[in-house]
Amino acid sequence: MRITALNTINNTDYWDQRRGKIISSKGGWKIGQGVFSHGYSMMDDFVGKTSYMQVVMLNATGRLPERNLADWLDAIFICLSWPDPRIWCNQIGALAGTTQTSVMAATCAGTLATDARAYGVRPLLDGLAFIQKAFQEFEAGTSVEEIVLSGNRVRKGKPEIMGYARPIAKGDERIPAMECVTKQLGFSIGKHLSLAYSIDEYLTCHYDEGMNINGYMSGFLSDQGITPEESYRIFSSLVASGVTACYVDTRDKIPNSFLPLRCDDIVYEGKSVRAVPEN
Amino acid sequence: MNSPKPSAQVSKRDDVYAQRSVTRIWQELPAEDNAYIAAQSRCHGYDLMALLQQRSFVDVLYLLFRGELPEPEEAALLETLMVAFINPGPRHPATRAAMNAGIGKTDPALILPIALTTLSGKYNAAGSLEECMRFLRKQQRKPAQVTARQLLEKLERPAEGDCHIAAGFGSVYNGIDLMSKQIAEHLVQMPGAGTALKWGQDFAQTLTKEGMGWLATGVVAAVLTDLGFQPRTAAGIYQIISAPGLFAHGVEMANKPMTAMPFIDDENYSIEYD
Repeated sequence: MRITALNTINNTDYWDQRRGKIISSKGGWKIGQGVFSHGYSMMDDFVGKTSYMQVVMLNATGRLPERNLADWLDAIFICLSWPDPRIWCNQIGALAGTTQTSVMAATCAGTLATDARAYGVRPLLDGLAFIQKAFQEFEAGTSVEEIVLSGNRVRKGKPEIMGYARPIAKGDERIPAMECVTKQLGFSIGKHLSLAYSIDEYLTCHYDEGMNINGYMSGFLSDQGITPEESYRIFSSLVASGVTACYVDTRDKIPNSFLPLRCDDIVYEGKSVRAVPEN
Repeated sequence: MNSPKPSAQVSKRDDVYAQRSVTRIWQELPAEDNAYIAAQSRCHGYDLMALLQQRSFVDVLYLLFRGELPEPEEAALLETLMVAFINPGPRHPATRAAMNAGIGKTDPALILPIALTTLSGKYNAAGSLEECMRFLRKQQRKPAQVTARQLLEKLERPAEGDCHIAAGFGSVYNGIDLMSKQIAEHLVQMPGAGTALKWGQDFAQTLTKEGMGWLATGVVAAVLTDLGFQPRTAAGIYQIISAPGLFAHGVEMANKPMTAMPFIDDENYSIEYD
């Protein structure tokens, strides 16, 4: 239905009401009164009383989680950020270090690189969306086999599902580490994670591919009522620490010494030499 | 930490990674006595020293992305576009990000990355260019009036804020973007103008009575479409075009005190929790 109202043309009331004003739904600093976040006084209610990750989730979602969920997030941050400069985002940190970029620019640049389709943080959007949709279908009677085989792209003869299989290696050492944390923190295996395990089992049995940490996270976080977009927001700085580590490693060495390239280390496959035509 | 689950057993894949990166854009020929030093650089086969003596910046920019030097009318169109959109203006959020960085005495080398990151957004910014180019490439096969009618029939104008009927087209502050309109009217008459610009001009004119028209992103997308740029390059080209203005506004603030820009007082800062 079209609800175009021609009397809206050049009507600027909406913007006029907002000129020179900020209307925050999140909080702010009331000078002389305090600093507030979602109704909490940050100095009185948080500092020394909650963990940083609790506040991270509050700012990202508007909900202050229990300490055990924040501790789970703290652990998964450790799992997802390593000091290995072969990982693409980390290599940006290392390259920034060898160029003597500032640590902040390097860490931001590497972190920004994980806003990517192939790896990093953005795939959580698809990972959580998949398991939440799959769970709805499962509840409606669809089998695990049907979930795996229907609607997913097939690559090299295997279904391509976000959260299952990973580049470079098969299997994921982060999952057993997080399984221990999950248990220690008193969480049980919820319905989404349980389905994720079933999909893992099916893929392992039929395609020799299994769940990766994205799949585990997606199942667990879905059981905690977190939406795909919320997970994207919570984990926006997920890889920062590993990028910083790789930056520091090269920043403290001779400049321009990280993976140096000779001219012929880049293969040129373009046009042959030619004269510039008259303009 | 040993888990019996298969997913916990980690083994390296036998994927084959390239030993060296490959490019079709740039060739660096090593010095005879030092393989790390380039003695000659070529862009798509053209010697850089010859290019810098015989060609303009715009020619070489086009060459980088298209692989060939532009015809004179193509170069003129691209150069005019780059002048037209050299500055998103001091009210654009990306420019304001640059100005915030400048006034805060952020390292000047970081002003542009900050501004360009902000300009990556999908609303009146580089992030919408690819979608806009794909829209133009698809829709220009049929009359603009037909597309406009189809889109208007199912249009639901938002109750608040602007209405974008398609990527690159819509209203600004509930009106028509007059600068983009004027620029498009100039560009469409240039010899290098192609189907996308002309189609976009028709489309924008059809939207006039709805209070909508060209957006800056639409004009840039149309020119890039006519010049044969790939949609995936469009966001970056838009950022390149906008970069001078963004940086100029940012660095203009760098010598001013922090009080030289507004700081909203508490009376005009309200917290309204949902």
